Amino acid sequence: MNNNAIIQVENLVKVYPGGTKAVDNITFSVAEGEFFGFLGPNGAGKSTTMKILGTLLRQTSGRAIVDGYDVIREPQKIRRIIGFAMQEVGLDDLATGRNFLVMQGLLYGMSRKEADRRATELLDLVSLSDVSHRKVGAYSGGMRRRIDLAGALVHNPRVLFLDEPTTGLDPQSRLAIWDHLRNLNKQGITMFLTTQMMDEADQLCQRIAIIDRGQIVAEGTPGSLKAEVGGDMVVISVAGENDEERRRQEEKAQALVDERSYVDGAHIIDRGLCVNVKNGGGTVPDLLKLLSDNDIVVTDLSLSSPTLDDVFLKYTGRTIRDDEASGDEYGQAMRQWMGLSRR
Amino acid sequence: MDGVKQKIGMSVFRETYYIYRRNLRVWFVPATFLPPLFMSGLLYVLFASTFTEVTNLGGFSTEDYSAFLVSWIIVQAVVFSGGDAGFALLTDMMSGYFDKLLLAPINRFSILFGSLLVAATRGMLQAVVIIAIALALGVSFQGGILGILTLILFAAVFGLAWSCLSIIIALKTKSVQATQSSFLLFFPFIFITTAFVPEELLSGWFKVAVKVNPVTYVTEAMRAIVIEGWEWSTIITGLWVTVVMVGFLMIVTTWLFRRATA
Repeated sequence: MNNNAIIQVENLVKVYPGGTKAVDNITFSVAEGEFFGFLGPNGAGKSTTMKILGTLLRQTSGRAIVDGYDVIREPQKIRRIIGFAMQEVGLDDLATGRNFLVMQGLLYGMSRKEADRRATELLDLVSLSDVSHRKVGAYSGGMRRRIDLAGALVHNPRVLFLDEPTTGLDPQSRLAIWDHLRNLNKQGITMFLTTQMMDEADQLCQRIAIIDRGQIVAEGTPGSLKAEVGGDMVVISVAGENDEERRRQEEKAQALVDERSYVDGAHIIDRGLCVNVKNGGGTVPDLLKLLSDNDIVVTDLSLSSPTLDDVFLKYTGRTIRDDEASGDEYGQAMRQWMGLSRR
Repeated sequence: MDGVKQKIGMSVFRETYYIYRRNLRVWFVPATFLPPLFMSGLLYVLFASTFTEVTNLGGFSTEDYSAFLVSWIIVQAVVFSGGDAGFALLTDMMSGYFDKLLLAPINRFSILFGSLLVAATRGMLQAVVIIAIALALGVSFQGGILGILTLILFAAVFGLAWSCLSIIIALKTKSVQATQSSFLLFFPFIFITTAFVPEELLSGWFKVAVKVNPVTYVTEAMRAIVIEGWEWSTIITGLWVTVVMVGFLMIVTTWLFRRATA
């Protein structure tokens, strides 16, 4: 087991009273100072795992250790070093922003004076000093997330749990939260984030685990996971008098490009010929030259790189939102390739 | 960790106090405590004016119906407000603030006690206001100042019992609506008592029901303090009933709360 791991989870299982198996035997660890993410759709078991690590929920079996403390045996020790920003923001709507933060400070054992000072610091950090006297209930979605984040930071936690910190936020607020999270990680706080958003995981996390139906299906850096899916994809449309002619040209092109050493495979899909290449940009000129030398007229060409969406698709056979239309170009091509898309 | 002192074992009293203060600020606002107080005051003045002559029936041990009524007015106010504790707890649970409290390195029970203390405070406030109205109506309290203080204390402890009950219902149903509407089920406890006339004037099934209703004994004890002074046998019976009720309900509430937060 990893020596500098601050979170260690072994064979964790959570079965809810109704019989739903939310977490199905997962094992992973997070290193101190790492920005780690759980990526998965709704109901994948992300929040459940996080709540177990945050001492809010008891697991059915398996072990979960945070900073060397077992979540069942020494929850109080863990509570002192973790912060938790929640999906359903746990705010006190009737308190003012400042009151909420001071109360958090007091609950973590600070004196009134310390709590006051810390509240001022945190309000400044999340840029809410101007509205500190207003009731939290009147805050906008982005402000609520920020005050919640500030509340989770009151005791200078070493690990910060972020359960879908930007779900439901407008793009601008999301970027603001991302900035805060990056800065906190730079200061050495270990971050454990759950998200349904590929770009969020991609932008923030150094390492991610893809979780689906309670199980971890893939784990690695965003780059390595994307590399596993394959290289870039070039989709080439060719000219032809009719469908039959076009199909013949496509087959001809397929045979030609397959000979090239940088091509990992070529398949015919709806829109044309789909070519998997190791380095998309660099190969396009050669591909075009090869085809025109052989009298194949290229009418359209597009180049796309894999995203985490495609990683998810590869490992689960589904898109994260289970919505075919929402995928990117690369994903659409890949789905057709895999025979997942209705024609 | 600059400046943040991590006091190991922050006392449960300190935590309870902070949570009590927070609950007071959030749940104890005029909009929640004034309407029930208005209702109680109205009931009191209306009944006292309507039934002024009823004491002529005999057995009232006082000729002042306002004095006879005051203890019951306090009791009904306290019972009807009992539901608020469960309501507040559920609202915090739904907003997620309850999880925030659970995440803090505090004793679980300070969360519960912080809520119950608010109930006791409300009971006291209700008693003070109703006693003030009684004094304005010219009621003379035979128990004196000490008697008035005892009445206030009774209201606080009795309020605690009903708040425990609402927390039990809240933890069991996890529904705000159920918690609020189920309190209507306690109407009989309030009305099947010696609310309006003494026991001697009752008969039949009603008299039996009144006798088994614990609320009767609490009402009687408080009434004794108002119109007879330190009439110990009635007061001690009422005290016993209150202590047993609070004790039993606290044990059940604590047990359920422990299960809900484990």
